[in-house]
Amino acid sequence: MLGYVLRRLLLTLPTLLLVALAVFTLMRLIPGDPVQLMLGDRADDAQVAEQRARMGLDAPLPLQFGRWLAAVAKGDLGQSITDQQPVLPLILERFRVSAVIVLVAVALATLLAVPAGLVAAWQQNRPVDLFIVLGATLLLSVPSFWLGLLLLLFFGLQLGWLPVVGYAPLSDGFAAGAAYLVLPIVTLTLIETGVLTRMARASAIEVQQLEYVTHARAKGVPEWRVLARHVLPNAFAPTLTLIGLVLGNLLGGIAVLETVFTLPGLGRLLVDAIYARDYPVVQGVLLFTATIYVLINLLVDLLYPLFDPRVSVQ
Amino acid sequence: MKWRLNAVVGSALVGVILLLALAALVWTPYDPLALSLRAKLQAPSAAHWLGTDEFGRDVASRIMAGASTSALVASVTVFFAVVGGSLVGVVAGFVRGWTDRVLMAFNDTLLAFPGMLLALALMVVVGANRWGIVLALGLAYAPSVARVVRGTVLGLREKEYVEASRMIGNPELTTMARHVLPNCVAPVAVLATSMFGWVLLAESALSFLGLGVPPPAPTWGNMLASGRPYMQTAVWLGLAPGLCIALTLLGINLLGDALRDRLDPRMAL
Amino acid sequence: MTRLLPAFLPGLLAAWLVALASPAVAQTLRVRLNADIRSTDPGVNRDANTDAVVLHVVEGLVALKEDTTVGPLLASKVDVSADGKTYTFSLRDGVKFHNGALLTADDVLWSWKRFMDPATNWRCLSEFDGRGLVKLLAVESPNPKTVVFRIDSPSALFLATMARMDCGGSGIVHRSSLGTDGKWVAPVGTGPFKLGEWKRGQAIELLRFDDYAARSEPMSGYTGAKKAEVERVRFMIIPDSAAAKAALYSNAVDIITDAPSSDFAELKARTDIKLDASPSMGLNALLLQTRDPLLKDVRIRRALALSLDTEELAASVSEGLSKRNNSAVPTTSPFYGAVQANGFKRDLAEAKRLLAAAGYSGQPIKLIANKRYGSTFDSAVLVQSMAQAAGLKIEIEVLDWATQLDKYGKGDYQLMSFTYSARLDPALNFEMLMGPKDKQPRKVWDNPDAQARLAVALDSPDRALRQSIFDDLHKRMLDEVPAIVFYNGIELAATRRNVAGYKGWPTGQPRLWNVRLQ
Repeated sequence: MLGYVLRRLLLTLPTLLLVALAVFTLMRLIPGDPVQLMLGDRADDAQVAEQRARMGLDAPLPLQFGRWLAAVAKGDLGQSITDQQPVLPLILERFRVSAVIVLVAVALATLLAVPAGLVAAWQQNRPVDLFIVLGATLLLSVPSFWLGLLLLLFFGLQLGWLPVVGYAPLSDGFAAGAAYLVLPIVTLTLIETGVLTRMARASAIEVQQLEYVTHARAKGVPEWRVLARHVLPNAFAPTLTLIGLVLGNLLGGIAVLETVFTLPGLGRLLVDAIYARDYPVVQGVLLFTATIYVLINLLVDLLYPLFDPRVSVQ
Repeated sequence: MKWRLNAVVGSALVGVILLLALAALVWTPYDPLALSLRAKLQAPSAAHWLGTDEFGRDVASRIMAGASTSALVASVTVFFAVVGGSLVGVVAGFVRGWTDRVLMAFNDTLLAFPGMLLALALMVVVGANRWGIVLALGLAYAPSVARVVRGTVLGLREKEYVEASRMIGNPELTTMARHVLPNCVAPVAVLATSMFGWVLLAESALSFLGLGVPPPAPTWGNMLASGRPYMQTAVWLGLAPGLCIALTLLGINLLGDALRDRLDPRMAL
Repeated sequence: MTRLLPAFLPGLLAAWLVALASPAVAQTLRVRLNADIRSTDPGVNRDANTDAVVLHVVEGLVALKEDTTVGPLLASKVDVSADGKTYTFSLRDGVKFHNGALLTADDVLWSWKRFMDPATNWRCLSEFDGRGLVKLLAVESPNPKTVVFRIDSPSALFLATMARMDCGGSGIVHRSSLGTDGKWVAPVGTGPFKLGEWKRGQAIELLRFDDYAARSEPMSGYTGAKKAEVERVRFMIIPDSAAAKAALYSNAVDIITDAPSSDFAELKARTDIKLDASPSMGLNALLLQTRDPLLKDVRIRRALALSLDTEELAASVSEGLSKRNNSAVPTTSPFYGAVQANGFKRDLAEAKRLLAAAGYSGQPIKLIANKRYGSTFDSAVLVQSMAQAAGLKIEIEVLDWATQLDKYGKGDYQLMSFTYSARLDPALNFEMLMGPKDKQPRKVWDNPDAQARLAVALDSPDRALRQSIFDDLHKRMLDEVPAIVFYNGIELAATRRNVAGYKGWPTGQPRLWNVRLQ
């Protein structure tokens, strides 16, 4: 088992290397110069060239890539061009913000979606099922920034129950910090519930047809027991895979929410850095996210057999 | 049977949208690009069924024109992603060996990028225009198709008719084309319908972040994004495209469900 | 889910109560910033937001007055020698740094030595080391209350450059702003506020400096009597303007200094918000690439200018807050007069005639705009629509700001909707438009004869001469159409009702001294 895990981890290295190369190349392909952005419309070419030299941006690209890679191997992701702060601590700090929102939202969404999917599958064809499917589909059809702004305007402005802007880390005080997180978490939860419910329902339906379920029912086992002990674990497995995919892809979507709710999260850091052509930050964030994504999928693959004994760890 | 209801409602919704999209190519109540600085931000009325926007342009006309553009962009993107992804998936799953490993390595690299951010970066390189979006989003979603197809192919390879085809000496390509590919259609079709929705949403998110299909040409996404500042004073600006996106996605998802029920009767409702 | 609810609820309630309570810390003035600052080192790593914050903390020898001329700040007076090459600054008495130390000439020398050291990377070094405006020969102090600057040749803009905001106002800081390793720590300046906590990505706090030595004359620009009326100023970083607006309404923010004109009607209608609109000195303009194969024909450029109704455009994009100005001299400048008020008048017939004469046959012309500066995009949409009436086919290309700036720098465009930040003297405005395109591809107007006249205006302090040069340059610009200037823009500040004393001014930078919460 340990051997398998280690092998899988080693296999991720080539992928990560490719990601690093792709990110570096992509960023340098983009027209626009971080130094010129910094100096604005007053910049004359001499000043720009001088600054670029100072920052090592005038070295040949393969050399810049090599330097960066060597630093990464030592755990140093470089310095942000925008404010000259080290990149890795910046990423970790922002990640804490995004991670809390994403994890709580996905957890809540799973808690809502799996039972809903089970119930819908159990009540297949009946009004309850129709209602759940309709609800789930509607939830995943709404653009997140739209829903977020609506909730912000209603609960924040109209009713005044929750703050409209701001952020306080939970470590500073749970109650104060939590208030700022409620709306973004609720928005994300609603949307993800839609996605996950449909998947849970589909896999639950598939499982329901299987022999051992009909067998259990024929034996006279109470329905709730059938659902809980036979259907749930097996239906959960594909949902788990989807959770892995969702978590990985969430970084893009969360940039939007972080803008609407003014949260200093990782998504917004990346978008801002792309616009500012802050190469070290973009490279660092994308490498970091790719690593997390790969690790999450590894975790999902390891957990899968727990839920679906047909699948064994290969 | 449930799938009939899905199909009916889904088709109805999608049908209406398609009709609007096609109609917009020939006729709209007003020119979607015609400005009228004196008629800015007017509420819905008899003259302007959905009101006017911040430049005095008729919202209803822009919704219709937006339907065409959004439909076109989404369709081409999904087509591009499906074709590209399927090719990669079939070759990788069928041929296996090093080809498989290399292809999947590149595929996973793309997959490891947060989809929308890859699109953002690509759009900045390519420039914000509709073909840039197609390229960017297509590249962002193709890997998912590739994975699904490869998985299906891996399962199909062991099937008897595939073995048989090989045994009688058919070239690999023929086997791939005649026996494997057609059987991938079902899962891909289902994925494609979901993808259509993701593309619509991604396009609107990109517009929100400043890089969607460039205005002044309307898409639902960029109408939604530019209507945000007026949420409280001119809510119809955001409501109309938002509802359109939601209803289109609803229709597509219902159709997708109906499709899956048809192709995979175990799932039938 | 039901199991979680009882645990969740008290937390939610507490959070709610805390959130309701927080606006009530009445001695904190909360101001919106649309992006985080880059550093706290004046004039080193900066952008407009950085200047806005840092200039509350540091002060220079001279500073901009309300009418954007230059006045003394840390100096009590400035004497210029007859040959214009020696500036003698007499320092004020009793000025204290935030750490309690008294300001002496020695500190001025130290600060300027640091500015002129290339390792500091001061933005304005090139203006003072001979590459730009002047060459600073020496900075000396004959006695602790006097500092003497010697330059190699006279310049009308020496003091103005010292006072420039993007130079950090040449702010004088105490040497304890650096750590023992010589690296920048935090600004220990003489301003009415001192730097508090900087929570990156979230907020920057400034604290009242109780021992601030205020000047006696009334507040004017960055100089005059400045008093920190509130204990604390918190600059909150809120990039999204819709969220910022919601924050203002819900009393989470007290002042938005850069409200978009599109919100004007909505803000005006609210009884809990006050508005302050002050004309800015920035330029909103359409740049034309005179080296483009199509646009090098001046008839086509003139036709474009004549196809536009710039009055309507300015009124529409600024929501009626700005009037059109087709000259490079801002309306708030003392050099703006009857000549500058003359501009383009829409004449479709003449435009069509010119296009026919030039042989224009409907070739598409690309117009670059961006969404970050909304006015550039709005202007572009209107230009496209108006020009269509004369038969010009314009296609808008929306780029992100960095890409657009790149193309601007290389001159790689046909038409570009652009916005220039404020320069404080009309000569500098013309200078940002004019230059030899071979050496400086970003310049729009390459006319050696006009260049020569501009050089005179840059050096000579003779007001009448400068005015006549600006008049002449304006007339030439209307003839040659290297660019079409639309309007000067407005800084729209929205404050809550209980905020008293906030005033905007042409530079657009916020000033939070003399502002009270009632």
